[in-house]
Amino acid sequence: MSSPGILRLSHATVRVPDLELAVAYYAEVVGLVVTGRDSDRAYLKGWDEQQHHSLILQQAPTYGLDSLTFKVVEEDELDRLADRVTDAGISVERFHPGEVAEAAGATARFRSPSGHVIDLECGQGQVGNGLSLINPPPAPDNLIGMHPPRLDHIFLLCEDVDGVTAFFQEVLEFRLTEQIVADDGHQLATFLERTHTPHDVAFLTGPDGGFHHLAFWVDEWNDLRTAADTCAYHGVKIDAGPTRHGATRGCGLYFFDPAGNRNEVYTGGYHFDPDDEPTVWTEAEMGRAIFSYRGQVDQKFMSVHS
Amino acid sequence: MGIFRLSHVDITAPDLELAAAYYTEVLGLDISERTDDGNGERIFFKCWDERDHHCLAIRHDTRVGIDRFAFKVDHPGDLEAFEARIERAGVPVQRVAAGEETGQGESIRFEIPSGHEMELVYDVHKVGGRLPLINPAPIVPNLRGIAPPRIDHLLVQAEEVPEAARFFQDVLDFRLTEQLLDGGGHQTIAFLERSAKPHDIAFVQGTNGALHHFSFWLDDWDHVRRAADLLAYHGVTIDIGPTRHGLTRGSTIYFFDPMGTRNEVFSGGYRPDPDFPTITWTNDRAGRAVFYYEGVLNERFASVHT
Repeated sequence: MSSPGILRLSHATVRVPDLELAVAYYAEVVGLVVTGRDSDRAYLKGWDEQQHHSLILQQAPTYGLDSLTFKVVEEDELDRLADRVTDAGISVERFHPGEVAEAAGATARFRSPSGHVIDLECGQGQVGNGLSLINPPPAPDNLIGMHPPRLDHIFLLCEDVDGVTAFFQEVLEFRLTEQIVADDGHQLATFLERTHTPHDVAFLTGPDGGFHHLAFWVDEWNDLRTAADTCAYHGVKIDAGPTRHGATRGCGLYFFDPAGNRNEVYTGGYHFDPDDEPTVWTEAEMGRAIFSYRGQVDQKFMSVHS
Repeated sequence: MGIFRLSHVDITAPDLELAAAYYTEVLGLDISERTDDGNGERIFFKCWDERDHHCLAIRHDTRVGIDRFAFKVDHPGDLEAFEARIERAGVPVQRVAAGEETGQGESIRFEIPSGHEMELVYDVHKVGGRLPLINPAPIVPNLRGIAPPRIDHLLVQAEEVPEAARFFQDVLDFRLTEQLLDGGGHQTIAFLERSAKPHDIAFVQGTNGALHHFSFWLDDWDHVRRAADLLAYHGVTIDIGPTRHGLTRGSTIYFFDPMGTRNEVFSGGYRPDPDFPTITWTNDRAGRAVFYYEGVLNERFASVHT
């Protein structure tokens, strides 16, 4: 049988200049659960996640993405994937459990051709979802803010989308679900998955190492309206939505954290089989691929990043 | 990576024209093929967003029942690997050659401990969804009926639930997400998954070889309400719902096709990782485990099966 490989996006480490402010925002507005804290880091998770964290806030002079981490379930898979990355000519650094972060599992770290630091991690500590494992209610009764149950995907920028997409497909065994193809044939944006969802990670043409947004899952469209109300109530700047994407068919709401990192809450999409053909968007339809209702490329959405 | 989702359920019905009318007009499936060959007179159905040939096959027979259910594997070599494992477990395996079965390639069939015939298949013919693969709209306008995008899971009965569950865990690599234990600690319901959902198949204590229901996915609780409106409009017998399950946390409505086979449409749930801890329901909360709002099991739900 083929190897299990990467399971899913585990977490992102995001830089914030004001850690107190960021923790207040992510805990009270987004409604994540704080699971750990030290002098320059805070660890958070969606309420339904079993793992210790799906977001690490890292105190730093500027904002942006420090690294992203994918979950690998089996330790020998970590070795196998690290070897594949090494064989592709990219150096891999290995870390012991607990070395890169609180509750971290064994980690293999490398820099993707897109300039992003990527960790593959196996065995992050589990803290549970706050519900009993015996006769649990469907949700805790003390949730605040948008309270997404879990992390969903990450959207990154890079100069050579074709190159990083090939790397993700050939070396990291991701599957391409959708792509926006320029009239000259190169990829403007690609959507890649390991979880049979429309995307776990996506790339858009832009500067190497760029961070477009981090998205949390909500269960349905009605939750996006609640999220928009929550943003408006707290004076959080809404970037776009609630609206529908053409690519992924998901519905989303975009907004910015106090440091300027873009967040999304997202729902919908579809199931993608490993033998399904990817969807293609032409350059002329790029606006509708991104925002199905507006149908035009939003310059702010495309150009503002961290 | 082995089995990754439910592919199709093959049932029997005494009136194929009535079945065709109900499953296309009320449930809103598409007919992908009708055959009348050595395998009998059959209709093959699929959901609008499914790209595979069928998720439901109905064969004409004087009796209502289930022929088999099929799961999909994601690697061609998986069939051979499972054949060896299943035979090692003492269960004979029948190979079905490519071309012998409509809409799919080679498969293996075997009897599971609960007396059901199960099939594993790699190559289900791609007939495409209703959306184009170039610049697709996110929806298909004017879909008929409930129009679920895809099949989700099935629930079957077993005299010895633990035996069936163990076979699925040990031989087929399913993971146990939730279980109901009676006062003596005996497992009477088992929920099992291969697709990071609360269940792809579940076993409930009852008659060997019996089908309790099969279920289609809906994106939103609001769509469950719309399904209830359509069922009432068409005079379809509703078994229970709209309501919530304790087990799986899903939102649901159950109803019967005109021949008496129970159907469900389902939304919600959660995303268990392979290292997700099993949730246990105790007998004193059995009612709430099944129907969270009602807190009691209706007699029809517990006893009626096909």
